[in-house]
Amino acid sequence: MRMSFTHYCQRICCFVSFVSLLAESADAQDVNLSGRVTDRLSGTALEGVAVSCEQTAQLSVTDEFGRYQVYLPAMADSINLHFYMLGYIEESICTGFNQGTNELNYALQPDPNIINEVLIQGNTVLSDKLHSPQMSVSTLTAKEAKALPALFGEVDLIKMLQLKPGITPGPEGTTGLFVRGGNSDQNLMLLDNAVVYNANHLFGFFSTFSPDAVEDVTVYKGGFPAQYSGRLSSVLDVRMREGKQDKIGGSGGLGFISSRLTLEGPIVKNKHSFLISGRRTYADLITRTINRANRDKKNYSPIPDYYFYDLNAKLLFALSPKDRLTISGYHGQDVFHFQDINFDFDFDWGNTAATARWVHLFSENLSVNTGCSYSFYQYNIVNQLDGFYFDAGSTIRDYNLKSDFLFVPNRQHTLRWGASATNHRFSIARLRAGSNDGQVRFESGQNLSSTELGFYGSDEWSVTPKLTFGYGLHVSGWFNGPKTYWGLEPRLSGVYALADNWSIKGAYVRMYQYAHLLAGSGISLPTDLWYPSTSKVKPQRSDQVSAGVSYLLHNQYLFTWEAWYKNLENQVDFIDGAEIYSTPDIESQLTFGRGYAYSPLELEVEKKTGRLTGWLGYTLAWVQRGDFQEINRGEYFSPRFDTRHNASVVAMYSINKRWQITGTFAYTSGYTSWLPEGRFSLFDIPGAAPQSVIPVYGDRNTVRYPAYMRLDLGAVWKFKTRWADNDLTFSVYNATGRRNPYFIYIEPQYQTVQVGDQVYKTPTGIAAKQVSLFPALPSVTWNFTF
Amino acid sequence: MKTNPFFNCLLGILVLTIGACDLTTTVEIDLPDYTAQPVVECYLEPGKPFRLLLTRSYAFFDPLGLDTSFLEKTLINGAVVRIAYDGDTIVLPNTLTAEPDPLKYFNYTASTLVPATPGIEYTLDIVLPEGGISSKTTMLPMVHWDSVVVERSPSDTGLYRVLAYMTDDLSSTNYYRRLFSINRLDTVPEQDFLVDDDLNATGLFVFGSGYQLKNQYIAYNTIVHISKDYYDFLESVQLATAGNENPFQQPSPIKSNVHGTANPLGIFTSLVYDREKTRAWE
Repeated sequence: MRMSFTHYCQRICCFVSFVSLLAESADAQDVNLSGRVTDRLSGTALEGVAVSCEQTAQLSVTDEFGRYQVYLPAMADSINLHFYMLGYIEESICTGFNQGTNELNYALQPDPNIINEVLIQGNTVLSDKLHSPQMSVSTLTAKEAKALPALFGEVDLIKMLQLKPGITPGPEGTTGLFVRGGNSDQNLMLLDNAVVYNANHLFGFFSTFSPDAVEDVTVYKGGFPAQYSGRLSSVLDVRMREGKQDKIGGSGGLGFISSRLTLEGPIVKNKHSFLISGRRTYADLITRTINRANRDKKNYSPIPDYYFYDLNAKLLFALSPKDRLTISGYHGQDVFHFQDINFDFDFDWGNTAATARWVHLFSENLSVNTGCSYSFYQYNIVNQLDGFYFDAGSTIRDYNLKSDFLFVPNRQHTLRWGASATNHRFSIARLRAGSNDGQVRFESGQNLSSTELGFYGSDEWSVTPKLTFGYGLHVSGWFNGPKTYWGLEPRLSGVYALADNWSIKGAYVRMYQYAHLLAGSGISLPTDLWYPSTSKVKPQRSDQVSAGVSYLLHNQYLFTWEAWYKNLENQVDFIDGAEIYSTPDIESQLTFGRGYAYSPLELEVEKKTGRLTGWLGYTLAWVQRGDFQEINRGEYFSPRFDTRHNASVVAMYSINKRWQITGTFAYTSGYTSWLPEGRFSLFDIPGAAPQSVIPVYGDRNTVRYPAYMRLDLGAVWKFKTRWADNDLTFSVYNATGRRNPYFIYIEPQYQTVQVGDQVYKTPTGIAAKQVSLFPALPSVTWNFTF
Repeated sequence: MKTNPFFNCLLGILVLTIGACDLTTTVEIDLPDYTAQPVVECYLEPGKPFRLLLTRSYAFFDPLGLDTSFLEKTLINGAVVRIAYDGDTIVLPNTLTAEPDPLKYFNYTASTLVPATPGIEYTLDIVLPEGGISSKTTMLPMVHWDSVVVERSPSDTGLYRVLAYMTDDLSSTNYYRRLFSINRLDTVPEQDFLVDDDLNATGLFVFGSGYQLKNQYIAYNTIVHISKDYYDFLESVQLATAGNENPFQQPSPIKSNVHGTANPLGIFTSLVYDREKTRAWE
C-alpha cells in the first residue's frame, strides 16, 4: 500500500524532531576523549585506524583527518587504547587519565611485514562486522587483490568481488556483477564519490579501476546506508589512494597485457600531497608493427588497432588542522581503429570522472563533507568511406553537488544528514550518416536533460550495549521536463548481540533508480545506452528485506548467514527485435515489467588473521523477471544470471616474508540461455539466397548451460633491489584447463562427398557447439614500489 | 537490437582465437519440446502467377535431410489455398512448379497473374487438417533507381564500386530491402539488408558497394519496396539467425504476418522491385 506524500512529510518532521531531542540529550555521564593518529615516519594523518577502548569495549575508526573519538566512564582514572591499522604495527597504550584532558594523539609505526598487516587488520574488521548493524557489506583492499591470481595477471578488484556470496559474476572473464538478482546496471559505481557509468574495458574483460590507484572497494549488497541512492541492487564505493606526504615514491608493474606506473609524494611535506597513476595496454604496438611489415603485400588484411588506458590523479591539501581539500580525477578510454581499402573505422569509448571535496571539522563531534563531482561517459563510432561518412554515439554527463554532515553527540548516536543535486545530460543514440556533398543525409538521436535531488538523514542508535538500530530516510526527486517523480526510501537496520561472539541482524531498504541502462545482450557493451526516466519510462524501484546471523569463532573466523528477498518494479527491457538507431522513438522499443529474487541461504566464512586468510562463500538463490507485455507473453522467466548455486573459495597463505601462495575457486551452476527450439527453411525471393536453417525461438531462457567451474592458482615472490621493493606475481588462470561455456550455438554439420570431379558438401545433422574462452593461462607480472 | 560492424569484426577475431586454441567443443543439450509448424511463403509479384510455398518446420535437432527427398518431406500438400482480392477469389491448386534463374519452388500455383495496381488488398486463406491460416497484405507501388554509377578506385588497385541512387517518397513511411550481387543472382548476395526512411532528411538514398568489383564484373543492384510486416518478418529472421551465432546479439522470435489455429510461421506480401544490371568496365 502506498503512503501519501503528506503522511510521509509528517513522518519526516517527527524524525527531525526526534533527532534534535537526541542531540540535546547527550549523555552527560560520559567523558569524551578524542585525538589524532598519524604515521610515525611521515607524520601523515591516518584514516581508517581502528581505536578501541578496553574500559568500554568501544570502537572508533579514524576519519580523513586521522581523528578518533571514544567515550569513557566519568570516573575513569586510566585508559587502555588499542590502535590497529593495515600496514602498521598494532600498539596499545595504558596511561593515567586526567579528567581535565580530553585529547590524546598517537603515532603508529609502519610495519613492512605483509603477514602482520593482514593479521592486525583482521581482528578489528571481523569484530567490527560482527557488531555493526550494517549487514550485507564487504570490503576488499587493493593489497589483497594484488596477491590473488588474475586473468593475464591483470589484477582487478571488481573480479575479486565476484567471488563474494550474493554476487553472480557475468560471463567468463568479464567484470559483470549481478548482485542479489539485480541487473548489471543496478550497481552504483562510485570512484571517490563520482559515478562511473561504464566501468569496463574491452567488453568487460577488465575494469577501469587500476589497482595501483585504488585503496579499497566496499560493496553494499543490501541494508544500504541512507546517503546512497540511485541504483537498486548494490553500491560499489571505490576509494582512490592518497599520495605519500613524506617523500617522493612510486610503484608500477609490467604485465602481459599492460604496464602501470604511479608516482606520488608531497607537494608540501607532511601537508599537501599528489598521486598520479597510469596504465596502458600495448597490443596495438605489436599489431601496428605487423601491419607496417605487411602493408605492401597483396590481399593483406590489416589487424585492427586496439588499446585502452587509465589515468588517475589525486591531490590532497591539508589547509588547516580542521580543513582538508581533496581533488581527484579519472580518465580512461578504449580506442579501436581499423583501416583498409573500404573502411576507415574508429570506435572509442571511455569515462571521465572528477571530484573536489572539502572536509571541515566544526568541532570534535560535528563535521561536514562538501563537494562537487563531474562524470562523463561517451562512445563514438566514426566510419569514413570515399565520399560518405557515418558517425554514431551516445553520451551521459553529470554535474553533482553534495554535502554530508556527520554528528556524534554521544556514544549512543551517530547522526548523518545531507543533500545532493545532480544535473544529468543525455545524448542518446546520435546518428549522422550521409554523403559529404550533403545530398544524402540521415539523422537521429535525442538530447535529454534531467535533474536529480536527494535528501537524507540517518541515525545509528546504540539502544543498549547489545542492541543497535540504524534508521534513516532518503528522499529522492527526478525532474525530466514537465515530468517529476519523488521517491521515499526508508532504511532500517538492527543488530542484537546474543553473546560476545554472536549477533543477529536485520534490514529493510527501498531504493529508486532513475537512469536505466538499455542493454540487449546480457553482456556489457560500450554501446549500451543510459536512458532517463520520462513520462513513459518510470523509475525502477526495489524493496529488499534481509536477515542474518553472525558468529565469530576464536576471534578469527567470522561465519555469516543471511537470507533475503528482493522485489523489483518498473524493470526495463527491449522488445524483441528492438532497433535503437533507426527509430526516432526509442521508447517504442522498450517494454516494462517486474522481477523478484530471493535466497534462503547466503553463507560466508571469513578469516583475516594468521598465515592463512581468505573466505568461503555460498549462495542459493532464485531470480525471476516477468509481466513484460512484449516478452514471453507476459509470463515470468529466468534471466540469464539466474544461477541456482554459487560457491567460491579464496585463500592466501604466507609461507614466509618472501613467498605467498594464493588460490581461488569459483563454481556457478549454469547460466540460462535462450536457444532455438525449432527451425524452418526460407526459400526467399529471387536474388536472395535460400536459407536452410532459420532458428525458431520460443520462450526465453529455457535452457541451462553446463556449470561453470574454475580454479586459479598464484604465487607471489618478494625481493628487494637497491632502488625498490619488488615482487613477481605468478598466476595460472583456470589451472585445470576446464572448458567453461561462454556461449552455445547450434549449427548444421556437413560431410564432403565427391561425385566424379565435383565435390559437394552434404548436410548430415545439427549439433550444439560450446565455445569456451580461456584454457589454462599462465602469466607473470613484475611489480615494484620505491 | 542490431549489432554493428565493429562487433562483427571483434566476433571474427574472437572466433579465430577460439579456433586456434581449440576451444569449441560439441556438447549435448536438451531443448524444449517443439511441435512442427506450417510455414507460408507467398510473394505477390505483379505480372507473375499467384503462387505459394507451404512447408513445415522441424524441431531443431531433427535430421536435416537436405537430400533429394527433402522437398517431399518438407512440403505440405493437400491444403486448400485461396487468395481473394478486388471481389475475386483465386484457388491455388496443389501443383509443384519451379521458376528457373534463380531457381524457386512453389507447391500451390494458379494460372492467374497478379495485377500490378498498387493499393489492392489481398486476403489469404488456407485450410489444413490441423487448422486454418489467414493473412492480409496490400500491393505496394513500384520504386525505381534514379541512377547507378560506377566509380574507379582513386588508389591504383584497378577496382570499382557502384553507387545506386533512389528518391524516396517522404510523405509516408516506406520500407526497403536492398540486395546487391556480383555476377550471379543465384548465390548469397554481397549485401542484403533492410532500411526505412524514418531518419532520411533529404529523401535521397544511396547504396554503395566497396571497391570490390574487377573490370568487366557485373553488379546487380536490387531495391525491393516492402511492407512493414515483411520488414518485421525479415528483421526477425536476421536476428534469429544472428542470435544463434553471436553471443552479443539478442535473438528474436519470428514475427510472422500469417495467423490462425494451425499456428503458422511465414509471410504473405507483395513483391515489387527494381533491379539494375551494371558492368564495371574501363
